[in-house]
Amino acid sequence: MTALRPQRAHNPPPKPRAGGLARARRNEAAALVIPALIPVVLLSVIPLLIGIGMAFTDSTLARNHETSFVGLQNFINLGSDSLFWQSFGIGIIWSVSVTVLQFLGGLSLALLLNSDLKFKGLTRLLALMPWAMPPVVVAIMWQMIYSPTNGPLNWLIGTLGGPERINWLGDFSLALPAVILVGVWVGMPQNTITLLAGLQQVPAELSEAAAVDGAGAWSRFKHVTFPAIKPVIISITSLSFIWNFNSFGIVYVMTEGGPGGRTMLPMLFTYLEAFKSRHTGSAAAMGDVIVLFLIVILVAYLWRQLRGERIPK
Amino acid sequence: MKLHRTVAVATMAVVSLSLAACSAGGTPAQSEGPVEIKFQSFSDQPAAIAATEEIVAAWNKDHADSQIKLIQAPSDSLDDKLTTQFAGEVAPDIIHYEIQGIAPFARDGYIADLSSLLSQKTLDDIEPGVLDSVTLDGKIVGAPTELQTYVVFANKGLLESAGVSIPTGDSMSWDTFAEIAKASTTPEVHGAAWGLKSPTAAFLSLGLGFDGTFFGTGKDVSLTVGEKEMEVPNRVRAMIDAGSLDPIGVTQSSSDVLATFYGGKAAMTVQGSYQIANVAADAPADMDWIVLPPLEGSAGIAQAATPQTLSINIDSAVQKQAAEFIDYFMQTDNLVKMNTADGLIPTTTSARAAIAEQNAGVNGWDAILASAAGLKGPTFLGADGYVRWKDTVATPGFQKFLGKEIDGARLATDLEAGWAQVNK
Repeated sequence: MTALRPQRAHNPPPKPRAGGLARARRNEAAALVIPALIPVVLLSVIPLLIGIGMAFTDSTLARNHETSFVGLQNFINLGSDSLFWQSFGIGIIWSVSVTVLQFLGGLSLALLLNSDLKFKGLTRLLALMPWAMPPVVVAIMWQMIYSPTNGPLNWLIGTLGGPERINWLGDFSLALPAVILVGVWVGMPQNTITLLAGLQQVPAELSEAAAVDGAGAWSRFKHVTFPAIKPVIISITSLSFIWNFNSFGIVYVMTEGGPGGRTMLPMLFTYLEAFKSRHTGSAAAMGDVIVLFLIVILVAYLWRQLRGERIPK
Repeated sequence: MKLHRTVAVATMAVVSLSLAACSAGGTPAQSEGPVEIKFQSFSDQPAAIAATEEIVAAWNKDHADSQIKLIQAPSDSLDDKLTTQFAGEVAPDIIHYEIQGIAPFARDGYIADLSSLLSQKTLDDIEPGVLDSVTLDGKIVGAPTELQTYVVFANKGLLESAGVSIPTGDSMSWDTFAEIAKASTTPEVHGAAWGLKSPTAAFLSLGLGFDGTFFGTGKDVSLTVGEKEMEVPNRVRAMIDAGSLDPIGVTQSSSDVLATFYGGKAAMTVQGSYQIANVAADAPADMDWIVLPPLEGSAGIAQAATPQTLSINIDSAVQKQAAEFIDYFMQTDNLVKMNTADGLIPTTTSARAAIAEQNAGVNGWDAILASAAGLKGPTFLGADGYVRWKDTVATPGFQKFLGKEIDGARLATDLEAGWAQVNK
């Protein structure tokens, strides 16, 4: 994410003098950079380009299939594929709510861990726990927690006198909120740790000075802490949004897109298209659409956020 | 720059190598002499793994020049594994899967036609309806080994305490099933529980009992959801509405529902017949469980045959030897051994007779074998696009219908419109 680099004003590089020394240096630099670029090009750039290109072909997984160029046909078909756009809408609801809740939860936890509590080390370790688990394990664990017939959650609600036998993952209106909760639970540690690191960079003197001037806790946060950690907030929320929009494992294991397609995220849909229906061409087109959409959203978001930080030249 | 050229040359080399690997070809040159045959099995029950190993060991002892190498595959991500194996051209010679899963690979040209490879003796022994189910476009794409039907397990104690007369005989009508479920429902207990988290296969299979074929035949397969097709979904929905079928159970998997059944919270449960092995092992010791006669619709006790299959990779250089091993695997004693281990129903006439004799008097087996009498080759296996329709249209549609979100008329139009969209 090069766009996330803090924009500093720097002097324009001096114009190279037409001398042997400068050229030798340039070649030296190139010779040092190229070996490092080879794996990047071979393992990331080329597959990415092949993947993008595949969307313009009728590629399938059939044996000895003669792939041919079909232009924009896949995208045209996708335009009228209501099922895909339905899953796209679910994907937006999922990623926006998970990202926002993750951020709010992570920030609250980070502020708490940043204050002088007892057992600070232990609580920080505990906050990391969900991060240490593989997504599939998390999903299976939550599936058990949510189990309508013998899950601990329903037992707890039942003993507290609540309604009996709530069908968390099988009810049309509850399934998406239930998986969103798990998504938040899994992603909070990343947000917490990143924000905590940001909070620890904020000089304590600033808060103290504001306190001396009579600022309350809220206005100290608003005018001192928040501006200081704003770049961290921007980077972690945008990264979270990308991860969440492309998340697959947790929902796939918990609901497989059900009930009634209520949790069919775009990535799940693309997976079915590529590996169950075996149409790799149209699945690549779906992937391209998702990437384009993410780029547009992020550019708009970062543009607004970072514009104010430019130091006028 | 030298470096540039090196990179370019290396890239070219990689590209040309991969192109060479993708060169088109028909049947590869067949090996003679001593060979090794890779046989990938996905059986995950310990007893079935042991039975497979036994069969392979017995073969290897007698056939020094065609040795079978058994490879264990995962059962839950087998589809992904096979997809990458075939795309990367490293698929094994013999592939163990089931017909619904292997059909898309067969349609994409990866599977050899067994009609001329297997011996006539083997082919003649396979039940006609079952042989029909593994024949796609006139090609036999897999040798059927084991299959399941949908049967009703019942808690005899709960039925008796509800004062229900327990059905006997060769079949039980759907109306009877609904009546019993209603009669045995109490505030604490549902009359029936059915794990319909993935409802499509069960509805399409049992739909044949009412002549509900869903799909036509031929090249451009059409889908009709009429009264016959709606019989089973409508009856299930009516049981939910009447309160006799557990509404939570229909959103769970069948093994989750078994827990409800063991806990005495459901008098009956509809399950794949293979669960008999699990019920026999896991049911509480004091539970008196039975298997009720097969469900019968207006067109008899027909269900779809969707057997497990052994297929041969079309790019295998040892097709002849692989087919000889499949012939051996399909022998009566071997099929009985495998099906006993898995609690499944054999696919050949002789093995079915042998297992009936072996399990005479064993709880539930008579009813399960009776349910296999009406197995037919389903039409949906020939329908290209069936998998996508099932995943993105049918399963969500049936779920919405059972969850009382849409009515039957809407379900029928959704299923048909979805099929049209999938096949655009």
